[in-house]
Amino acid sequence: MDLQYSPADEEFRDEVRTFLEENLTPELRRAGRLATSVYHDHEASMKWQEILRRRGWAAPGWPVEHGGCGWTASQHYIFSRESTIAGAPALSPMGIKMVAHAIIKFGTEEQKEYFLPRILTGEVFFCQGYSEPESGSDLASLAMQAVDDGDDLVCTGSKIWTTHAGEANWMFALVRTTRGPKKQQGITFVLVDMKSPGIEVQPLVMTSGEQIQNQVFFDQVRIPKKNVIGQIDDGWTVAKYLLEFERGGSPASAKLQVQLDEIAQAAANRPGPNGPLLDDPLFAVKLADLRIRCDVLEVLEYRNLARLSEGKNPGTASSLLKIINTELSQDITVLALEAAGPQGLAYQPHATMPGGPVHDHSPPQDGYVSGEAWQAVAPLHYFNDRAGTIYAGSNEIQRNILAKAELGL
Amino acid sequence: MDFTLSAEQSELRSTVSSFLRKRYELEPSRSAARSSIGWQPEIWQAFAEEIGILAATLPEEVGGDGGGAVETMVIAEELGRALVVEPFVSTVVLGAGLLRRAGGSKARAVLEGIASGRERVALAIDEPDSYPSGYEVATSATRAGDEWVLTGTKTMVGDAPLATRLLVVARTSGERRDPAGLSLFLLDFDASDLPADVKVHSYRTIDDRWAADIEFRDVRLPAEALLGEADHAGSLLDPAMDEATAAVCAEAVGLMRKVFADTVAYAKERRQFGQPIGSFQALQHRMVDMHIELERSVSAAYLATLRLGDAPDQRARAVSAAKVTLSRAAKFIGENAVQLHGGMGMTQELAVGHFFKRLTAIQAEYGDADFHRVRYARLSDHRSRAATGEAGVRSGAVAVG
Ligand SMILES: Cc1cc2nc3c(=O)[nH]c(=O)nc-3n(C[C@H](O)[C@H](O)[C@H](O)COP(=O)(O)OP(=O)(O)OC[C@H]3O[C@@H](n4cnc5c(N)ncnc54)[C@H](O)[C@@H]3O)c2cc1C
Repeated sequence: MDLQYSPADEEFRDEVRTFLEENLTPELRRAGRLATSVYHDHEASMKWQEILRRRGWAAPGWPVEHGGCGWTASQHYIFSRESTIAGAPALSPMGIKMVAHAIIKFGTEEQKEYFLPRILTGEVFFCQGYSEPESGSDLASLAMQAVDDGDDLVCTGSKIWTTHAGEANWMFALVRTTRGPKKQQGITFVLVDMKSPGIEVQPLVMTSGEQIQNQVFFDQVRIPKKNVIGQIDDGWTVAKYLLEFERGGSPASAKLQVQLDEIAQAAANRPGPNGPLLDDPLFAVKLADLRIRCDVLEVLEYRNLARLSEGKNPGTASSLLKIINTELSQDITVLALEAAGPQGLAYQPHATMPGGPVHDHSPPQDGYVSGEAWQAVAPLHYFNDRAGTIYAGSNEIQRNILAKAELGL
Repeated sequence: MDFTLSAEQSELRSTVSSFLRKRYELEPSRSAARSSIGWQPEIWQAFAEEIGILAATLPEEVGGDGGGAVETMVIAEELGRALVVEPFVSTVVLGAGLLRRAGGSKARAVLEGIASGRERVALAIDEPDSYPSGYEVATSATRAGDEWVLTGTKTMVGDAPLATRLLVVARTSGERRDPAGLSLFLLDFDASDLPADVKVHSYRTIDDRWAADIEFRDVRLPAEALLGEADHAGSLLDPAMDEATAAVCAEAVGLMRKVFADTVAYAKERRQFGQPIGSFQALQHRMVDMHIELERSVSAAYLATLRLGDAPDQRARAVSAAKVTLSRAAKFIGENAVQLHGGMGMTQELAVGHFFKRLTAIQAEYGDADFHRVRYARLSDHRSRAATGEAGVRSGAVAVG
């Protein structure tokens, strides 16, 4: 047993580092550094996707014949970790990391040919239409009505919390084609052209003032049956398959470690009760505690990685990791806010790079910022990060899953 | 021992709460807060003229009703419950507390103005490169003949954009971190009409209030701008800051009562998996824990309020105990109220999101939990307490109530 990378992995890591060094412009790094949530500035993230695409690295997890890299589990981990450490903007997860896998596994040849290359270039940009006002944690109860009408399904109802519905030109959605005794049956997985008549996107204003999520209203929207993925009435099979990609997958420890490094750096220059805040024992102990949790998370991720490398399914580990990393991430945003001090209470989204427009805020004409940009990011990041324990299956739901599947309760 | 309100105090509570229920709605107050005015002047006027809360706790000789710490607690809690952004604590508790202690005819005139709703006061104390609440002050005031010359930069001056007066803490002697050597100056202020030697950057805060960074560039002040004695502002600041801290603790209680009640109601109403989410035991336990934090908070707010008249060390310990308790509860209750509302808790559509932001900001106001833990520890002689067996909040001082 050891924690070392193999020489081949180290070689790969150096290759990735060189690439990042050469291609990440200061502007792109800025988008990562000033992000206020997991949703990075859309333009920067699309630019980075294009740079990666040209190198053949935009969708490393896809099968090679569709443009994937054929990497080992270790290589995926290294790539993701190094990208984060270097400050690369995060790519939108909805297309490359989610719906593409459903298309690859369940799609027709025609669907693969149309969508996969366009997802890579960004010509097609997806949002995820699962949640409905009355169906959140209980996703399978979803009720968006889809009536069979010749070559089309005609959809009426609404989806909510749809991230980047405003930026997206396609949505993958779950709709109700049949109502039966078992709610998981009768759901259909469809791809929806956002330009279809009858669709209306209404932005939601979140606590941070950012408008990234939306409610999407469907009024008699016609969806051609050729845009169904898998079988009609059997969309739950597709959705369940995708869920694994939403929860497990990308390593979080690197991002969290980088955030702690940034806090430490900032705290070295902030006043504490006796000299720099970083030297205040109360602060230093909290920082140490979070670092310990990060170190341990990294090892948990390696253990998960080792299982995946043996070809095993992540299983309940994805629930466990989701709980650990979202709660750790939230605690890190708390420490950042503490470090920001009084200036962390100023509302200054103009000093940040949010993942969408900001509601009801007119920046000062002279662009004034009280304190530094990281202090402006701190409260917004704290607010937005509360979502981590709510979405992708709330942490209560993950604990229910673990209680049942892992403990047999 | 007695924890009941007097008849007058109960009436005060119901007057304030029924006024706010009728006249202070969340939507208009948020729109006002985000407008260029930043608040509702007509509400402030009604506070003075219709329900008398701006005068309730001021001395009779300046037109007040002579109320004390309990009256302040009652008012602040109700203001919290309605998420009032108008500057009650900074003007009526902190500002008036400083002016009252400083005395003199200028202070008296401003106090009269506060009672009648004409004046609003902001305290400029924190600085960009100083540990907050620590009296670490680099802004200086030096004597030049009959005048003072004020130089330095203040940050996060709460409510300054709507203030008519500034109280500025400046160093008149001693080193930057010296607790002594501070003085308090009173300045006329109008953020929309500033002299060339004062530069103001106003901004909204995360909880929809207003604050400003203020730069004083060799501002000349007349001799009478000095309040109280030179070099001795600490003796005014310590008790007034403690009173303000106790008041925001009471405000936090009001905020938490509202989000807690909303959360329980939401859990009964919101259905998933064919049943109210409040039927899930995981959530029931969470809400019980919120309830426990709230009861702790109410007790802590009483402790601070009822100790404000004690000797300085006892007063300060009680206030620190309260602020630590309230900060912890504000975080726990605020975060879990959001969590239990799911996606809805993340929006600005329900009250909970707005209250959560105020609960977040309040944790940092008047010293965060760490600041107060350290102050409590410093004021607790752990060793001799252990040796004498002296314990509890009632020992060593006058009885509660
Ligand atoms: C920022 C953000 C982005 C999102 N992006 C998208 C997106 O792009 N596409 C999309 O489809 N959806 C998206 N979502 C929606 C997200 O998936 C839902 O918010 C989530 O599933 C929870 O549903 P809900 O909000 O209806 O809360 P509810 O399901 O109403 O839950 C409320 C509370 O009850 C708890 N609860 C529910 N059931 C149980 C139980 N059985 N036991 C114990 N506790 C329980 C929950 O944990 C939660 O605390 C997003 C949400 C957020 C906040």
